[in-house]
Amino acid sequence: MRNRLAIALGIASLLLAAAPMWAHHAFAAEFDAQKPVKLRGTVVKVEFINPHSWIHMDVKDADGKVTRWMVEGGSPNALFRRGVTKDALPQGTEILVDGYQAKDGSNRANGRDITFADGKKLFVGGSNPDEQPNAK
Amino acid sequence: MNGKVFALAAVILSSAALAQTKYNPPRTPDGQPDLQGVWTNVTITPLERPANLAGKAFFTPAEARQYEKDTVDRNNADRRDGGAQADLSRAYNDAWYDRGTKVVETLRTSLIIDPPDGHIPRKAGAPAVAQAGFGRPPEGPEDRSLPERCILWPTAGPPMMPSFYNNNYQIVQAPGYVTILVEMIHDARIIPLDNRPHVDAGIRQWMGDPRGHWEGNTLVVETTNFNDKTRFQRAGQNMRLVERFTRTAPDTIMYEFTVDDPSAFTKPWTAQIPMKKTEGPIIEYACNEGNYAMEGMLAGARADEKKAASK
Repeated sequence: MRNRLAIALGIASLLLAAAPMWAHHAFAAEFDAQKPVKLRGTVVKVEFINPHSWIHMDVKDADGKVTRWMVEGGSPNALFRRGVTKDALPQGTEILVDGYQAKDGSNRANGRDITFADGKKLFVGGSNPDEQPNAK
Repeated sequence: MNGKVFALAAVILSSAALAQTKYNPPRTPDGQPDLQGVWTNVTITPLERPANLAGKAFFTPAEARQYEKDTVDRNNADRRDGGAQADLSRAYNDAWYDRGTKVVETLRTSLIIDPPDGHIPRKAGAPAVAQAGFGRPPEGPEDRSLPERCILWPTAGPPMMPSFYNNNYQIVQAPGYVTILVEMIHDARIIPLDNRPHVDAGIRQWMGDPRGHWEGNTLVVETTNFNDKTRFQRAGQNMRLVERFTRTAPDTIMYEFTVDDPSAFTKPWTAQIPMKKTEGPIIEYACNEGNYAMEGMLAGARADEKKAASK
């Protein structure tokens, strides 16, 4: 809904000073706010594809049963430019994903936060104004 | 020459003067000024001047640093104060974006340079875009937005505006043509330079019909024939756009655009955005192929229907 509103208002809404909530598509259309998930597992593969990247991971439950999940990430172009390459998430890496499950109940989630076993976050924002990774 | 055309010409002339430079750019083998390369227009400078900066066209360097710090702090905040629904939408915090950390190097407080107040001269009552299907659960891809369908990103333009990420462009020149690849969504604008007339008024295109020519070292691109399915700041299919690309330094193209649409604006207006050389390559976008989210959104709509029916 937020996305629809943003587009209905046109580009003006893109330029609001407030932190925007608009991406390639509406997360609210795809994922369920009533289904927060915390997934601990290992990376199987990463698809650095547009418009959004997808991390495939195996999650083992208490009984040892393994379930494959797909986690939606950011635009690969933007991630590359922030230094996140395929080497950042090699197969077998243990990660914790904090996100929301797909509305249709399939094993898909958006990656609200992705944390390594040592507590480091995968996608740390470039908050230093002295850095502008895009400009040479 | 009617008044409107004269006003537009005046704006173009005045902005051309601003972009004048002594820099003599390298040439392509066929003698065009060389604009080729990968460029970014990323900036945190807003299109319109913020209200608290009214009357102030330029930052001092110290003010610019403070504005950058405040903006980046705000953009980078971890916002979990709105409940689950808001949190879901806010999954895109700054960690996912690439929206820049700097104001434009000219230290202007708005991208708009004309009118001098830094605001779009909006006409009251101009209609917003009417998008089919919005407001109902999507029956199919056609009911979702243009970016979601990998058709067009609103800031891909033209005119080309910075957005939250993927603010990169590759310019390639060949005899008689300039091509601009827009990273976001993947569009390539192919601009003929041979003075051919615009296509028939009945032919309407997502990104319009561009015609280019050189004025000294400046590439001037005039675009018309937009379709009625998009709006730029409420300008519709009759928008007339003039863009000017001037290489002012080895690492800079000064990009200026002037838009006119009497149904949306009381007069033409002009913005200026430096494009900085950046590292390539731009990786292939292949938007539809990787658009798993469309399947997810349609599956979500069906799941919502099932849920509603079982109540």
